[in-house]
Amino acid sequence: MDQHTEHNSQESPDQPHLLAQRDGIKRPPLVLNKRTMGWISSYVSTIVESKTPLWWYISIAITSPIALLTPLLICYLVSTGVGVWGNNSPVAWAWDITNFVFWIGIGHAGTLISAILFLTRQKWRTSINRAAEAMTLFAVVCAGIYPLFHVGRVWKVYFLAPVPNSNAIWQNFRSPLLWDVFAVSTYFTVSILFWYTGLIPDLATIRDRCTTKIKKFFYGILALGWRGGNRQWRHYEMAYLLLAGLSTPLVLSVHSVVSFDFATSVIPGWHATIFPPYFVAGAIFGGFAMVLTIMLPARAIYPQLHDMITPMHIDKMCKVILLTGSIVGYAYLMELFMAWYGANPYERAAFWYRAFGPYWWAYWSMMFCNVISPQVFWFPWCRKNIFVVFIICMFVNAGMWFERFVIIATTLARDFLPSSWGMFHPTWVDIFTFIGTFGIFTTLFLLFVRFLPMICMFEVKAVLPEANPHYGEDH
Amino acid sequence: MKRIFQHPARDVQPTLWRNSQERENSAIFNESLQREFPAGADRAGEKHETQGLSRRDFLRLTGASAALAGIGLSACRRPEAYLVPFTRSAEWTIPGKFLYYATTMPAPAGAIPLIVTTSDGRPTKIEGNPLHPMSNGSTDAFAQASLLDLYNPYRSKAITLDGKEATSSKLDSYLAHLREGALSNGGEGMAIVVERIGSPTRDRLRDALLKEFPKITWVEYEPLSTHFFEQACDTALGEGVRPIYHFKKADVIVALDADFLNPSVAGFGLANGFYARRNPDQQMNRLYAVENHYSLTGGLADHRFRLQARQLGAFTAAMSLLVGTKTNNASLKLLATTWIHNNPTIELSSESQKWVSAVVEDLLANQGKSLVLAGGEQSIGIQLMVLGMNAALGNFGTTLEVAATGIKPTSSLKDLAEAIEAGSIKKLLLFQVNPVYTASSEKNWTDLIASVPETLHLSLCEEETSKVSRWHVPAAHYLEAWGDVRSLDGTLCAVQPMILPLWNGYSELEILHALLGEPRAEGPALIRETFNSFSQDHSDGTWNNYLHQGFLSDSAWPVSQPSWNDPAVQRLIATLKPQQPFSKDDFECVFLPSSSVYDGRYSGNAWLQETPDFVTKLTWDNALLMSPADAKRLHLSDGDFVRLSDGQHSIDIAILTLPGHANGSVSASLGYGRKNISHIVSNVGFNVYPLRTAASPRYTSSVSIKPLTGKKYVFAQTQEHHNMEGRDLVREGTIERYQEDPKFAQTMGMDGHIPPNIGLYTRPPFTAQEQWGMSVDLNTCIGCNACLLACQSENNVPVVGKDQVRRGRDMAWIRIDRWFASPDGSDKNPEMLPQAIMCQHCDNAPCETVCPVNATVHSEDGLNLMAYNRCIGTRYCANNCPWKVRRFNFFDYNLRPLDQLYYGPLAPKGMADSLKMSKNPNVTVRMRGVMEKCTFCLQRIEEAKIGRLVQAGASDSHKTPIAPFKTACQQACPSESIVFGNIADAKSTVSQRKESPRDYTMLKYLNARPRVTYLARIKNPNASMPDADKVGLANGTVHHEAAGEHADVGPTHFDQHGVVSPQASTSVVSPQIMENSK
Repeated sequence: MDQHTEHNSQESPDQPHLLAQRDGIKRPPLVLNKRTMGWISSYVSTIVESKTPLWWYISIAITSPIALLTPLLICYLVSTGVGVWGNNSPVAWAWDITNFVFWIGIGHAGTLISAILFLTRQKWRTSINRAAEAMTLFAVVCAGIYPLFHVGRVWKVYFLAPVPNSNAIWQNFRSPLLWDVFAVSTYFTVSILFWYTGLIPDLATIRDRCTTKIKKFFYGILALGWRGGNRQWRHYEMAYLLLAGLSTPLVLSVHSVVSFDFATSVIPGWHATIFPPYFVAGAIFGGFAMVLTIMLPARAIYPQLHDMITPMHIDKMCKVILLTGSIVGYAYLMELFMAWYGANPYERAAFWYRAFGPYWWAYWSMMFCNVISPQVFWFPWCRKNIFVVFIICMFVNAGMWFERFVIIATTLARDFLPSSWGMFHPTWVDIFTFIGTFGIFTTLFLLFVRFLPMICMFEVKAVLPEANPHYGEDH
Repeated sequence: MKRIFQHPARDVQPTLWRNSQERENSAIFNESLQREFPAGADRAGEKHETQGLSRRDFLRLTGASAALAGIGLSACRRPEAYLVPFTRSAEWTIPGKFLYYATTMPAPAGAIPLIVTTSDGRPTKIEGNPLHPMSNGSTDAFAQASLLDLYNPYRSKAITLDGKEATSSKLDSYLAHLREGALSNGGEGMAIVVERIGSPTRDRLRDALLKEFPKITWVEYEPLSTHFFEQACDTALGEGVRPIYHFKKADVIVALDADFLNPSVAGFGLANGFYARRNPDQQMNRLYAVENHYSLTGGLADHRFRLQARQLGAFTAAMSLLVGTKTNNASLKLLATTWIHNNPTIELSSESQKWVSAVVEDLLANQGKSLVLAGGEQSIGIQLMVLGMNAALGNFGTTLEVAATGIKPTSSLKDLAEAIEAGSIKKLLLFQVNPVYTASSEKNWTDLIASVPETLHLSLCEEETSKVSRWHVPAAHYLEAWGDVRSLDGTLCAVQPMILPLWNGYSELEILHALLGEPRAEGPALIRETFNSFSQDHSDGTWNNYLHQGFLSDSAWPVSQPSWNDPAVQRLIATLKPQQPFSKDDFECVFLPSSSVYDGRYSGNAWLQETPDFVTKLTWDNALLMSPADAKRLHLSDGDFVRLSDGQHSIDIAILTLPGHANGSVSASLGYGRKNISHIVSNVGFNVYPLRTAASPRYTSSVSIKPLTGKKYVFAQTQEHHNMEGRDLVREGTIERYQEDPKFAQTMGMDGHIPPNIGLYTRPPFTAQEQWGMSVDLNTCIGCNACLLACQSENNVPVVGKDQVRRGRDMAWIRIDRWFASPDGSDKNPEMLPQAIMCQHCDNAPCETVCPVNATVHSEDGLNLMAYNRCIGTRYCANNCPWKVRRFNFFDYNLRPLDQLYYGPLAPKGMADSLKMSKNPNVTVRMRGVMEKCTFCLQRIEEAKIGRLVQAGASDSHKTPIAPFKTACQQACPSESIVFGNIADAKSTVSQRKESPRDYTMLKYLNARPRVTYLARIKNPNASMPDADKVGLANGTVHHEAAGEHADVGPTHFDQHGVVSPQASTSVVSPQIMENSK
């Protein structure tokens, strides 16, 4: 608890001139309507405890069949061959890796909110981190499907694991694809640990409120015997801090490593040093848009969440989107500049074909969605209007998919030798496998909403004014 | 069963003993020694253990449970396969070692001498016979692919009579019946139609048959005939006298719609000596081509002129008139004036006239050192004028000599058709010809054959003609039957079987022999009889030597000085008829031999179907080719359907624009659009035979084109972009530029500006003694596809089908990129540049660094290896390959039917047994999900290395030179454009090639250091030609600045910097760097 006290003491300025400033622009409270700690516990827990609402049944009845598409089509893919997708020569990677990078990018916001904002003491993170982290995990699950099953012989995929074998062949540690395997699996493991660690105190709260034995047993197991004692809290906070420290470099490394798949290649349009920062910025950009995309409907369904996920939260996330969107836009322009300034005809051609080649529509969709549309967030009105925010977030989601498609498919479609140039056309299997991953994502999220506390109760309680030891004092 | 231990005899009185019984040597003790366990030992303590489990019961239960577990798990076992050795060794064979036999492929344009590789009695690879005077050990694409014809699962497998299966004895009695009938009436009413393959044995049997039954009608028929050419030769040079060309002596060659560089069309070996004269370091020849569409010859020509085929006569006449006037040759002048007089309406454009005068000027300057050629299907007038020009230019006896072949003209198919219509033919035997399909325009051969009471058709596969014939007899492939054939120079070549007929096919010689009433000939008896008439020495030794080397030395037709038979020519001139008149607004339609199926005879061959056309890069289809300008004028684009009509017949066909095509002219390949044969043959392309007439087989001078609305046709092209986009991929210059700046190709474009290269990594050492490399000479590469087919056959490259090619998934390990380039960017008459691209085996291979599982790695001898077993199929290597030479098995192309690839496990699995036999046993057949690519024929390299070890024996193998060998593509290349070898050996041909100033590396700036380099293309333009300023400028206008600016730092910076790079400064020096630092 001590870090909170310390934190709060920083916030109570003792210099007179700052005091005046503080009185002038008062920060909005993190929880509105003066909700008490008890209210928070009971409201968040009620979502899990109450009778399953009808909308939930309807939603899951829609999403789960969609989710089923992906495993069914993966079975078709594995039994028949990668050819059921539209990949070809020269476009040997297409929607598979596009979707992988798309989903893994989305998976960045959760850990960023949980870890980096935790380390930088951004208290507003508390009400959104749980859901954002869950979203991260589900996005990584969706992402992981693609690199696993896009290979020609998935039954030999254990060759990627550095285990001793009778062939005495090691992996190729020069290959960014191998780093990818390590980076993504590490990220998934740490994210799931981080998420679960964060869940333990809240699981204990739910366990304590349970009315049926079965529920009590189930949540009891998950709560790992949490009693909320002082020593437990001390260990817990340390563990959480360590995991946050561990996750922070991962947020930066995973998408950097993913970008190495392209940056370390020789293909014009891929071979660029700008990729790692640009990919990370893009991932945060896309991730935040996806957090908003799912938080806004959740907030609409549970109106009391408005007290915890306040307009200020949305405003801050919009600002992050605006910042990262502008970084991404800068990167796009810098790519074009480098292509021109580098004077390499292959590089120049690659970017020319991106903008004016056969896939021009993908490029300009990307430009509009990612660079132009988030600029409306300069205006506070737009950041406050839920509908505008939602629409822009949808644009960003689409734009980030187009970005990956542009980078992967349009680059491969036209590389060095014009004789090999060829177009990629998705097949129905491509399309429905991708749609299926949205089904998986939403189904998992619906299950999460139904069975686990969507808001990190104990952390929200810790940022209430009452949690401040100096609460009520006037000095 | 219990083991009995036989103890050695014991001493009667042992010095050492275990107990007193042993010391006493008692019987009880000795008996106990014979048993491992004393009686009842297994039962010992049974009483004690009755409460629990006895040892035996324990073992019993353990065994039973293991067995039960085995039943459950037995489904997890891999299927068992057996390697069965010969119980008795077959003569000569060593399992795993190839045997090589000489044979010859009979082909309509000229026989191809071959060496066939057999593996355990199966022919698996076809190569040229380097011993043969007409061969340099190369083949054409058709010869390579003929292997698949042998194993084609769609071959006919049974004799049928009226659609029902018949026995061979029934056929024998039918042949006897035919003979009986002929004996009674001298063969009246019997006709035999055969293809044109100059087989001496067949001629002998024919003569015998016609002697016995003089009334038999004998027809030799080829859809792509050289009938007019032969008629012209018979008239002007003497009966049966044919020209022999000496390209080595020719400085100037004019090809008038003559694709003489295409061995499959012009005849194998015809262009011998031509490529030697394309070396810019020696005196280079100059080639002019006049044609309506791009041919291989036109692609290589120094000057190419687009001309409608129907105007070729006028063009030739103008040339002849000029040559005749300048050389004062009355006969030629008469020929030309007669032609012009007969065809007063055809006028030449001013561009044509400029061309004519400049070309003739060059010809006149090179009298006796020139050659004028015309395509075999051109009209007799053109043929005579061309022969006349050669005579007037003094080429007779220098570049053109003649051989008396004794070939006599036979009745034509037209005569036969008339006879059938008259009802005088009662018995019709058709051997390996398919007139129902190929002669469909003038006569309805379906009805004609149906009207003959007794018909027999001999063919490899069931064809259109088989379906209307009463008897269908499966033919023996040339690799299954004895035969003989004369090559283009007349040398007697042996056709030796490599295998017994797979499906009991008959050869035409056997049937002819049966008609002569002889008992079935054993083995080569028929052939040996013919051989004995050729050779003075009838001994077994000579015969065996003939079979061993595949031909009889010095059996070529004697070559002599030609003489011009003026009176006969004069008589013929009088009978010449005018060309069919045409309106300028009408299109002409030119009929081309297909680069893949020839006249349709190879359409059952999946390898050939999937081989892209030389020029259009079209697979599994033909198309109506037209110039982009015409397409624009008619508002058509690729894939649009048009109705092509000559007034009587019309066909619907999809169009494809082809740069360099003449305006007002369309062309289409023959041999496509066959229906209901097998799934390979059916539904590919469009049949244009109905528009073709025997009188004018090359073109129909007037057709109308009506655009049709509706669905577009989607072609399966392996290359869709034809512009180099200013990238210096193929580098080209004129001879003048080359002589000024020999290293111009090395500083072209970006290569003049590559900054110093600094490497962070030390490359793994190239420790092997041999360092493999390859050089491709773009000056002689014509893009003839022979290498593609050779690679396909050698490396078990699968066929993927039209649908997969459309999706960009063709598997060819070597491809020929074909570029159209012109200095001003207009596509009216661009140059055509072919370039063979295979895996470049880069020293710094981009594919190797990105493979996560180390499935593609480098060898010590500089090969980029591919371990299929290790590959999981991430396809990252393919993405990172700048040359895009890696091929991925998106489906199980080898094991699933190509039309059911998307059914996955629901489709039947497995390969036809005959196709299994066709595979090279030394090359893995790849499964789905793995990447593959050119290996530089690794299996041949390893075979040579093993050979060295064997030869070295106990001595130091490293000092034993490696046996010479070639990669499959190199071996097949007719122009010796591809050279492979050890680049660490400065004396090797490949090293010398790489020393050439023309040597350049593609995409050099990537520092991938490919082991494949290219020799720039050099053109030899004539400065007085109207298009002289456009020749040799495929890379745009000359970039003088690059050459000048960097002259001080040496030929290529890159190599200079390469020497100082950290890689080179270590003890590891690549052979390439060693070469450069010399």
